[in-house]
Amino acid sequence: MTAGSPWAELRALPTLARVSTSDHIAYRAEMTIWILTSTLPLFMLALWNAVVQDGQIAGFGQPEMARYFTATLVVRQLTGVWVMWELSYNIRTGRLSSQLLRPLHPLFMHGVWMVTALPFRVLILSPIVLALVAWRPDLLAWPGWDGLALFVLSTSLAFCMSFLIQCWFGTLSFWLDKSDGLFGVWFSTWMVASGYIAPLALFPPWARHLLDLLPFRGMLSVPVEILGGFIRPADAWPYIAVQAGWTLVMIALVHVTWQRGVRRYGAYGA
Amino acid sequence: MPEPRRSLALALRRSARIVGALLRASLMVGMQYRSDFLLDALTGLVRVAATFAPIALVYTSRDSVAGWGVHDATMVLALFMLLSAILEGIIEPNLGAVVDNIRDGTFDLVLLRPADSQLLVSLRSVAPARMWNAVGGVGAGAWALWHDPPGAALDVAVAGLLLVSGAVGMYGLWLIAISSAFLFVRVDNLRHLLTSIVDAGRWPVEVFSGWVRWALTVVIPVAVFTSFPAMALRGEWDAALLGVGLGVGVAFGVGSRITWRAALARYTSASS
Repeated sequence: MTAGSPWAELRALPTLARVSTSDHIAYRAEMTIWILTSTLPLFMLALWNAVVQDGQIAGFGQPEMARYFTATLVVRQLTGVWVMWELSYNIRTGRLSSQLLRPLHPLFMHGVWMVTALPFRVLILSPIVLALVAWRPDLLAWPGWDGLALFVLSTSLAFCMSFLIQCWFGTLSFWLDKSDGLFGVWFSTWMVASGYIAPLALFPPWARHLLDLLPFRGMLSVPVEILGGFIRPADAWPYIAVQAGWTLVMIALVHVTWQRGVRRYGAYGA
Repeated sequence: MPEPRRSLALALRRSARIVGALLRASLMVGMQYRSDFLLDALTGLVRVAATFAPIALVYTSRDSVAGWGVHDATMVLALFMLLSAILEGIIEPNLGAVVDNIRDGTFDLVLLRPADSQLLVSLRSVAPARMWNAVGGVGAGAWALWHDPPGAALDVAVAGLLLVSGAVGMYGLWLIAISSAFLFVRVDNLRHLLTSIVDAGRWPVEVFSGWVRWALTVVIPVAVFTSFPAMALRGEWDAALLGVGLGVGVAFGVGSRITWRAALARYTSASS
C-alpha cells in the first residue's frame, strides 16, 4: 500500500525528474511522432480559414481563426498527458504491484513523467508555430503581462484537469477490462465541447452558457482565449474559478476511486 | 513462403473460402465479449454524434465553403465514416495484431499455415462494434443523396469505382506502414500518426491548399475515398480525376504486395 509522506515525494523529485527526462530522451523518436499526432488544430484551421474567407463569423475573421487555432495547438501540447493508457496497462498486466511497493505514490511518479515531457513538446512545437506565424504574421497579438500571467495559471489548471481526468478513467481499469472505450466517449464530447474543433463563440447562446459550467471548456478554450486575447484579463477570473472548482472535484474523485481500486487490486492477490 | 502453382479459378475459389471462414471466426470472437461490445457501440454512437457537430456549426453560418454545399460536404463526411468503419473495424485490428505477433514471435504460426499470409493477416479479426460508423455513414449518405440526387448512372458508376480504388489505397498504405514493423518493431505511434492525418479526409479536399491537397490524394490517399466519389456524384469528374483516383489504388495495391513480400524475406523468425 502506498504510504508515502509528502517529504519522501519532495526528496525524490529531483531524481525522478532526471530519470523521467532521460526516459523521454531515450524514446525521442516515438515521442516526436506522438506529439505530431495532435495536428488536428492545423486541419481545423485550414477548414475555418476557408469558411471565413468571405467575411467574419461572430467576430472571427482569418487572422482571428489563425490566432485561435495556433493557441489551441500550443495549449493542447502543454496540457497533453497519456496517463490513462499507462495506468490501465499497468493495472491489467500487474506491473502496478511493483510500483505500489515503492514509497512514492504511483500517480505522483506519472505526474512527474508527464511534466518532464513538456520541454520536448515545446521544442517540437516551436518550428510549427514559427511556420504559422510566417504564413500569417497578423495572428500575433500581445495579451499583456497580466494576460500572460493568467494564461500560465489557467494552463496549469488545464494540465491538472487533463491529468486528473485521465487518472480517473485509468483507475476504472481496476473494475473494467477496457476503460479506454469509456474514455473515448469522454474524449469525443471533449473535442466538441472544449473548443477544439471550433471556437465556442460560434455555438448558439444556450450551448455557450451550459459549456461555461462544464469542465471541458476549462481544459482547453479558457487558456486559449486568454492567450489569444478573446477573454480580456479583467474578465478571466470567473472562468479560472470554474477551472479551480473542477480541479478540486476531480482530486476528490480520483482520491476515492484510487483508494477503493487499490484495495480491490490487493484483494485478488496481485 | 513459396506456394504451389495452380489454376487461377481454383485459387480464387480457395481464397474466397478462406475469406469466408476468417470473417465468420473473427465475428464470433468480436461478439463474444458482450459488455465490451455494448461499450464499443455506445462509444461509436457518441463519436458519430460528435462527427456531425462541426459540419452543423459551419453550415449554420455559411451556405457553401470552397464551393461545397451542405449536402456535398455531408456526402464527404458520410464516406469518411464508412472509411473509418473499414479502417477501425477491419484494417486496424488485423494489421495491429501483426505488430504484436512480430514482437512476441507468434507470427511464425501465421507463416506456417498453407494459405497466403497477406490474406491471413488481413482478415483474422473484425471489430463489429466499429460498424456504428458505417451505420451513421450510410444514413448521412442517404440523406445527402435524397436532397441532391446524382444526375447520371455513369456518375454513380465512376463514384463506385473511385470508392473501391480509395479503399485499396488505404489498405495498401496501412499494410506498408505495418510492414515497417519487420524493421523497427515498434510502430504503434506511426499508426496513430496516420490515423490523425486521415482525419483530414472528413472535409472536402478543396478546403485545403495546394500541396496538402496533393498529399491527401497521393501520399495518404484518403481524398480518393471521400472527396473524389462525392465529386463524381455531382458530375464534376473528368479523365484526370478518374486517372489519378484509379492510379492511386493500383499503385498502393501493387506496392503493398511488393512491400509485404520484401518484408517477409527480411523476417527472421522468433525461433531462428
